[in-house]
Amino acid sequence: MPERPAVLPATQELIARIAWLGRLRSLAAAGVLVFVEVGRRTLGFQLDPRPIYALVVLLAGYNLAVALTYRAMRRRRHSGQSASGAGWQPAGPLARFLLPRLGPDMVYDREAGQAAVMAGSQIAADLLILAALLHFSGGVENPLRALFVLHLIISGILLSRSATYLFATLGVALYAAMVLGELYGVLPHYPLSAHWRPDAYLDPRLVGTHLFLFGVLLYVAAYLGSEIETRLRWRERYVVALARELAQKSDRAEAAYQELRTVERAQSEYMRKVAHELRGPLGTIRTALGVVLETPSAMPREKRLDLTRRAYRRSGELAQVTQELLTLARARSNSVAVMRSPLHPAAVAAPVIEELRPQAEKKEVALVVSTDAVPEILGDAEGLADLMSNLLSNAIRYTPSGGRVDFHLRQAEGGLVIEVADTGIGIRQEDLPRIYEEFYRSRAAREAVPDGTGLGMSIVRAVVERHHGTISVESAVGTGTRVTVTIPRG
Amino acid sequence: MAARAKVLLVDDDEDLVQVLSLVLEDRGYQVVSETRAEAAVATVDRERPDLIVQDVMMPDATEGFHVVWHLRQRPEAYFHDVPIIILTAIHQKTPLRFYPDSGDGTYRAGEFLPIQGFVDKPVDPARLLEEIDRVLAVTRTA
Repeated sequence: MPERPAVLPATQELIARIAWLGRLRSLAAAGVLVFVEVGRRTLGFQLDPRPIYALVVLLAGYNLAVALTYRAMRRRRHSGQSASGAGWQPAGPLARFLLPRLGPDMVYDREAGQAAVMAGSQIAADLLILAALLHFSGGVENPLRALFVLHLIISGILLSRSATYLFATLGVALYAAMVLGELYGVLPHYPLSAHWRPDAYLDPRLVGTHLFLFGVLLYVAAYLGSEIETRLRWRERYVVALARELAQKSDRAEAAYQELRTVERAQSEYMRKVAHELRGPLGTIRTALGVVLETPSAMPREKRLDLTRRAYRRSGELAQVTQELLTLARARSNSVAVMRSPLHPAAVAAPVIEELRPQAEKKEVALVVSTDAVPEILGDAEGLADLMSNLLSNAIRYTPSGGRVDFHLRQAEGGLVIEVADTGIGIRQEDLPRIYEEFYRSRAAREAVPDGTGLGMSIVRAVVERHHGTISVESAVGTGTRVTVTIPRG
Repeated sequence: MAARAKVLLVDDDEDLVQVLSLVLEDRGYQVVSETRAEAAVATVDRERPDLIVQDVMMPDATEGFHVVWHLRQRPEAYFHDVPIIILTAIHQKTPLRFYPDSGDGTYRAGEFLPIQGFVDKPVDPARLLEEIDRVLAVTRTA
């Protein structure tokens, strides 16, 4: 199952920070205007304000465009549509470069990608405009170059380490282009103030020192900004991973709990069935013995004897049911060691057949046995004996006098095949699915053979399942039944 | 008079039917029995007992209740009036309330089972005799 991409708090943060960037930019534009006006009036600035104003107008215009785009993004987000309108999509390669690295199993979504591209382009645009502002307001003379640092801090907070270093490099390149261009006369110089060393821009040592310190400043800012942010993100990722792990664990716990409840319900249902099955005969026994004990001695001896005999017979029935319940329980829970003991199927079958042969003879049912030389298999001898005994006993019991029962062991591709076929009363198609239910006896079965626990086929199936075998029953009413069990060699 | 009453026992447990028959016959009742729920209505029609003792937990779950409803749905007054005692192990657990003894031998349909009495399983013979006496006494004075 592919990991569901985490909805990172970072995505939301990134989108929220775009608005924050915009507000900062408005403040910066206002600051530049104030700085220029105050400087002209009180500090004797001699600069030409027109290009500055033009740049401020440009800044304000692009800030407005960013704000509008941002609002559209938020609306889409709130209306629950993904940016592409077609479900979840990962962020593109540019966005992945810009965004802080995630854990190996986490991916940014397209929305985070768009926010990152927006933030990155804004930072790049801001650096360009800031460089232009500096150029038109004294170049190397202007101390406002320190403002570049702010962008690197912002980039460090929002974007990847590599993106931040890239922006630091862009800042240094722009600044270098400006001061070196002015120094070598490639670019015109716009002095800031007549009082502040108007020829400073022509002093290579001063320009070089400024450029060097500026570069150091930007890279240090980039380093500090992204370092702090890396640590925070590491912690955030850890929290997100932890939350996801917890969610998975709680899902697993929930599933296990549900499974347990299902098993528990099945168990209570089974207990209820068993209790109900035992209660019937027990109630009859109790009532019969109660009558024997409590009725006046006027009741004829033979009637008392009849009651006692009935109680005795029914207690035998109870003993039989409890015996078979134990057999069933054992068949369902045998240990792996027991299940993998080597055994000879024919040797397991022999005593079972000898035990049931008198029953067949008494009923005048022909018992035809053929146990081919089947090889040794791994399995539970006692369980397989129970299985054969139940199949054979069913076949004999439900076959009328003069009929025939075939017991056949053979070797097949799938393993050992145990086949029991009779010419008995058969099972109706609609009863077939229920024959493995505990205590189930079809109406026809009850009428043909009054005694029976209805546990035999449950035991057979439990043994087959424990051996990872298969069972199939073909039957036609009035013609007979053929049960085929296949037990893998183990 | 009560000693000559004819009682029909309906229970799938042949042994229980025999045991209870002995007890009731010992008390002087005339006893007939039926072990198949699906044949019970026909048996009632044929035998016209004065009282029916009906088991509810027959092999197919609530077949005993079905017998009761089938009987009561017959148009003749006899099927409406013949008192029924049910044998049950669930009377404290069923959401159906049993018919309260209003003393006039009538019953109301709806949430009440149209029966006149019940005896818990396992059946205590003395309790069954008491209940039969009580129900017959009520229906005969009505």
